[in-house]
Amino acid sequence: MNTTQFAGEHLWPGQLGHFFVIVSFVAALFSAFSYFKAARTETDLTATRTWTILGRSGFITHFLSVLGIFVALYYIITRHLFEYHYAWEHSSYDMPSEYLLSCFWEGQQGSFMLWTFWHAILGLIVMRTSKVLESRTMAIISLVQVILTSMIMGIYFGVDVKIGSTPFMLLRHAMQNAPIFSSPDYMDFIKDGNGLNVLLQNYWMVIHPPVLFLGFALTLIPFAYVIAALWKGDYESFVKPTLAWSLAAGGILGLGIMMGGAWAYESLNFGGYWAWDPVENASLVPWLTLIGGLHTLLIYRSTKRALSITFIFLLLTHLLVWYSTFLTRTGILGKTSVHAFTGDGTALTYHLLIVIGVLLLLSLVLLIVRWKKMPRIKTEEETLSREFWMFIGAIVLFLASVQIAITTSIPVWAPLAKWISGKDFAPPTDVMTHYNSIQVWVGIITGMLSAAVLFMKYKNTPAKTLGIKLGIIAAISGVGTALIAYGQDITDIQYVLLLFTACFGIVASVHYGISVQKGKFKKLGASVSHFGFATVLLGILLSSYNKHAISLNTTGMSFNLQKGTESETIKENMENMIMFRGIPVAMGPYFATYIGDSSVAGKDKRVYYKVAFEKRDSVSKKVSERFMLYPDAFINPKGQQGFSANPSTKHYWDRDIFTYINGATDKSKADTSGYYSHTVNKPGDSIFLSNGYMIFKGFSNEINDRRYQPKEGDLAVKARLEVYDMQGLKKEIAPLYILRDKQYIVQVDDTVGDLGLYARFAALNVHSKDSASLDIQVRQTNPMDDFIVLKALVFPYINVLWIGIVVLVFGFFISVGDVISRKVRTTGGE
Amino acid sequence: MKKTQIVLLVLIMAAIAVLISVFGDFSSYETFASAAKEPKKSYYIIGYLDTTQGMHYDPKVDANHFTFFAKDKAGIKNKVIFNGEKPRDIEKSEQIVMMGYMDGDTFHCSKIQMKCPSKYKKDQIAVGKQG
Repeated sequence: MNTTQFAGEHLWPGQLGHFFVIVSFVAALFSAFSYFKAARTETDLTATRTWTILGRSGFITHFLSVLGIFVALYYIITRHLFEYHYAWEHSSYDMPSEYLLSCFWEGQQGSFMLWTFWHAILGLIVMRTSKVLESRTMAIISLVQVILTSMIMGIYFGVDVKIGSTPFMLLRHAMQNAPIFSSPDYMDFIKDGNGLNVLLQNYWMVIHPPVLFLGFALTLIPFAYVIAALWKGDYESFVKPTLAWSLAAGGILGLGIMMGGAWAYESLNFGGYWAWDPVENASLVPWLTLIGGLHTLLIYRSTKRALSITFIFLLLTHLLVWYSTFLTRTGILGKTSVHAFTGDGTALTYHLLIVIGVLLLLSLVLLIVRWKKMPRIKTEEETLSREFWMFIGAIVLFLASVQIAITTSIPVWAPLAKWISGKDFAPPTDVMTHYNSIQVWVGIITGMLSAAVLFMKYKNTPAKTLGIKLGIIAAISGVGTALIAYGQDITDIQYVLLLFTACFGIVASVHYGISVQKGKFKKLGASVSHFGFATVLLGILLSSYNKHAISLNTTGMSFNLQKGTESETIKENMENMIMFRGIPVAMGPYFATYIGDSSVAGKDKRVYYKVAFEKRDSVSKKVSERFMLYPDAFINPKGQQGFSANPSTKHYWDRDIFTYINGATDKSKADTSGYYSHTVNKPGDSIFLSNGYMIFKGFSNEINDRRYQPKEGDLAVKARLEVYDMQGLKKEIAPLYILRDKQYIVQVDDTVGDLGLYARFAALNVHSKDSASLDIQVRQTNPMDDFIVLKALVFPYINVLWIGIVVLVFGFFISVGDVISRKVRTTGGE
Repeated sequence: MKKTQIVLLVLIMAAIAVLISVFGDFSSYETFASAAKEPKKSYYIIGYLDTTQGMHYDPKVDANHFTFFAKDKAGIKNKVIFNGEKPRDIEKSEQIVMMGYMDGDTFHCSKIQMKCPSKYKKDQIAVGKQG
């Protein structure tokens, strides 16, 4: 290696961080081994006690070093130590401080670290609460931590084999071939980092990844308990904690997934909260198996049936989380996903495949060894029992996840299929229809079951009372369905059925919560979450069934209309409208006008476009409603040619109007208009503009302008101007004229973005002691050179969906509370 | 056989039936030549932007009409009409995946996915002069 001394580097945070990585790896390994020994020496009380204490101290050491890694990396990012590749690649000086946290999860290593961190915290809780299963669950958790920390080790064996990649890599090591790193003072040239991908600069991106990763991390705990139960052959003590943890995981993972949807809705342009994108599917699939496992575990708790399927579902859930990491992180989805992350190459692929292989093997071996001796009930369940229908519901959820997994995994199995059939498989050309046409039936079946099952009892239910109750509920929901279907013009049979399902679910869970559970809060978990689920179904149906674009091409501009042959999918692309500044266009019930943008030469990279919406009364023609939307875009982020738009949405209680910019004039290029000079002599003189006028109000030397920094020897004057447009007074502006050191003239322009107006105080001509004239130069951009391409969509009743999700998650947590507080039978105690 | 097992079997059979029936939804990656064999049927074509020939987009005339030339994996160049706004950065793409169909000698495309060197991986370095 070279021995050049580099100036200006801060090596200690990285060295410390790397040290913590090694310590956390070794401590986790030590903890896993000790807990393993503790489990093996269970009959010998003193030995098992010693090993347990060793395991605990190992895990606590591991936890503390994981904290250390976090702090070290946080220090590097917040201090902008760009000698580190991670800080340089993911952060920059101009980034708002709240997004510095997002840097953690933008990168590969940072997200593995976040995951490790959650596992470590959850591990501490399990350590304190798992009692008789501590040694076994903790052995598994520590083992997974060994695997995870190995992913951020970045250790080379020989030249070619690299294990993991460290977040503490130096920039000069990451790019060894760049010539500037041969210079010892290279740090002087690195002025700023790359910054965060602009799409991720959104508050949802600050909170959604930690929640999603907590959801992923939570699936480890049921996994560990199931392994522990199989390992010990004890099928009792795992039930209560596994149920509580699975409920928590279901709630948090569900919340995380839909926060991702909210992020997509607020900052991505595919026009919705869910696009069946592979990255979204990858986290939905384990959630579905988790919900399946949760319900079969409930069956087992009450009837001792369905144990083996519970084990399979819960083991599979965690394995699928790893599989989803494999899909999204290795770049294998590359050409099928809009937001696939670039892979870290083949090293990560093999690393993850080995991990999945090891965990899968562990699960399979234990399942096979114990299969014969697992407790089973010989008799058959009754047809009208809760367990029977709950079981069917769980299977349907599982099959739904299989379907999603198969289509999502096309890039994984396509090479094999090509080898067999010679056809190069690609995802469906219409992904939405592909999934929707199948999953709508899953929604109908599981929705109906989730409502009906509430009224069934374990073991058996009297047919007559059940029939009467469900009949009444069906009648009420039938009326509701008819009304909504008529009002919303829903005619397709499967969507009418889905609507009925949602109504049925809502009516049934409300009825159950009030009349059967008498509103006893602690017991309300199931009815609340099933109510939430039904509401989610209703929200999805209403918001997507009547989602429509209002920015259709009706501008009367000469459009190329040779589109008679185009299919329906192309209609989607016809929903862009060009809007010239100041010219109103009709959009649904509104008239929309592009008023101007916020761009200031040389300033913000983020430009807001101001669009006014007006609704006029059809008779009186008076404006009955007026609001502004500010869709924005990052223009040329990071100095590159580019455009990254963020939507702006007007929220009503019953609908959202969702707009985003698809294109805009590039101001830096289009601006060719020149300045025109006007001379004014006294206050009250006016200057005419193309769409208004301005009045000179006088001079002033009281200058309070952020763009001007006074210097010693400056003589500064401002001209006060009032700008009027057709509606009246618009804004007061004050361009500055500065004489610096009695020889240089500095001018500071002032602008009115809405009018495309630039005003410059060009010259000050002093005629006598109290008479002076000034030259004001005015430049106005031509409105026809200033346009945006806008897409506007209406999402009806989207709030129903968001409310449903909140209620659903809330229900999960009521249940967690209920499970924990139940002090009955199961747990073996210490 | 137990009732649960029968139901399980029925459900799995139904699932397999559904999977087979939607198997036709899966598309395939083709070239311009192979897509032309079945005009008006949608396929994916992986290709590259042909920078030697011009592209045309004038939002003042039609904001949803962008034409360019692309070269597929077999090296054949073809005219492409994209019914949408010109994707930003397409000049910089190192690979594009186009979804659409052949009609006559033009490829009508309704979705473009670009593989950009800069989008998520941005390994170029900003060098500033000492101030």
